[in-house]
Amino acid sequence: MAEKKRKEEIVIRVDDLKKSFGNHQVLKGVDFHVRKGDVTCIIGASGSGKTTLLRCLNLLETPTSGQIYFHEQPITKYKMNIEQFRSRMGMVFQSFNLFNNMSVLDNCMLGPIHVLKKNKEEAREEAEKYLEKVGMHPQINAMPHQLSGGQKQRVAIARALCMHPEVILFDEPTSALDPQMVGEVLAVMKEMAQEGITMVIVTHEMAFARDVSTKTIFMKDGSVVEQGSPERIFYNPTSPYTAEFLARFMAG
Amino acid sequence: MFVLSASLSVPTDGNFADWVIFLTQEYGGIFLEGCMWTLLIALVGTVAGCVIGFICGSIQTIEIQDTDPLYKKLFIGILKLIFNIYVEVFRGTPMMVQAMVMYYGLPMIGISLAALPCGFLVVSINTGAYMAESVRGGIDSVDIGQFEAGKAIGMKHFEILRFIVMPQAIRNIMPQIGNQLVINIKDTSVLNVISVSELFFAGKTAASVYYKYFESFFIVAVIYLCLTLVISRIIRFIEKKMDGAADYSLESTGSTELKGEV
Repeated sequence: MAEKKRKEEIVIRVDDLKKSFGNHQVLKGVDFHVRKGDVTCIIGASGSGKTTLLRCLNLLETPTSGQIYFHEQPITKYKMNIEQFRSRMGMVFQSFNLFNNMSVLDNCMLGPIHVLKKNKEEAREEAEKYLEKVGMHPQINAMPHQLSGGQKQRVAIARALCMHPEVILFDEPTSALDPQMVGEVLAVMKEMAQEGITMVIVTHEMAFARDVSTKTIFMKDGSVVEQGSPERIFYNPTSPYTAEFLARFMAG
Repeated sequence: MFVLSASLSVPTDGNFADWVIFLTQEYGGIFLEGCMWTLLIALVGTVAGCVIGFICGSIQTIEIQDTDPLYKKLFIGILKLIFNIYVEVFRGTPMMVQAMVMYYGLPMIGISLAALPCGFLVVSINTGAYMAESVRGGIDSVDIGQFEAGKAIGMKHFEILRFIVMPQAIRNIMPQIGNQLVINIKDTSVLNVISVSELFFAGKTAASVYYKYFESFFIVAVIYLCLTLVISRIIRFIEKKMDGAADYSLESTGSTELKGEV
């Protein structure tokens, strides 16, 4: 009981989530939860449904069945204000998706001004603060096409932070980057993890998952094979599939 | 004009150049007025057509969700159907025929329009039908990730369109808008069938007095060409402006070594 008290509130709870595209079932009943302050890394081979799972969490994909609870409120069943819900759940994409028609600064101010209804000065101050944090302050006047991939992704992270979301979802944030840029993005994410920001990260960066996550989820063919602390998943996997998947990484 | 024409004599030897000069001086005012109406109708028609096109094109991008209430599904479905019919009808018939039908048809249902307002209306509606398709294409050409990023920060469909997608779509369809404007400058000539005194009508007026059709329409052709050349250069200039500067300046963060670095 004492241990239960210590644990933080559950922010996201996924209950038997299924998703099909036509006849192809991508998610075959996924269960997990995210507590406040958790850094959850979802690992697994390409095509195992990691990205689809993440996209279901903020309803960029509509689940076929099952339920997702946000603060114990079901998000798919009841008529919840979807825009308001999404504003509380940040997302960082594999392909950055910075708004191409706006400068770095405007990218970070758009949401706070139009969704959170902040005034311009306040939004600008905040945007500058977070851009400073990700090391992109010197480039606030740049347009997205003038930036490198790593710089774009750091701006995308600042843009998500500006909304003060309760959870930030990362969809393979470093998969489109070269090794040096991977490092600069992961450094920012590591810092965020240490500050206690709740994150759900789909990643192929095994070392990052092992060192930074508080919980690791291994997926295979649309199901969660096992989940637990990174120490247990990486050094003591119970499933032969997990061991097989991690074998190459652990050997290297 | 009177002073000018009074001092002129009608060329007697039938020399082409002499006639062109004579007609230009004699009917300069009429040509100028026709030129003005042509330009005005084409510009207003294109702008109004763009507005219609943007409305139609945006509505076509609304996705109907299974979870939407029935009235919303019905409303959007009917709206899309109406716009589809509109586009098909006005793209599928010649503008000259549309002008005749509207000019002589609208009074039948109690709407009586003079030739000029009718001309504005025809060009606008016709352009709208073409622009609706261009706008839809322009929106489709914007990366789906831009929509998703907008959704992910909690923006509504029309906010995403207005602040993120439309500015990019407009850049993509700028060449089409320019094209449409050039086409409209030329195609306002069909409005002469309902006696709008645009440039072609001016040419007809000037030609009929001395039966100098070649000379008169030679002048008209030169004016059309000048208009379209200038317009397409302006559009090109606007496109360049929209693309913005190729480089950017670093924000000074207080450290001196960053200053002046680009």
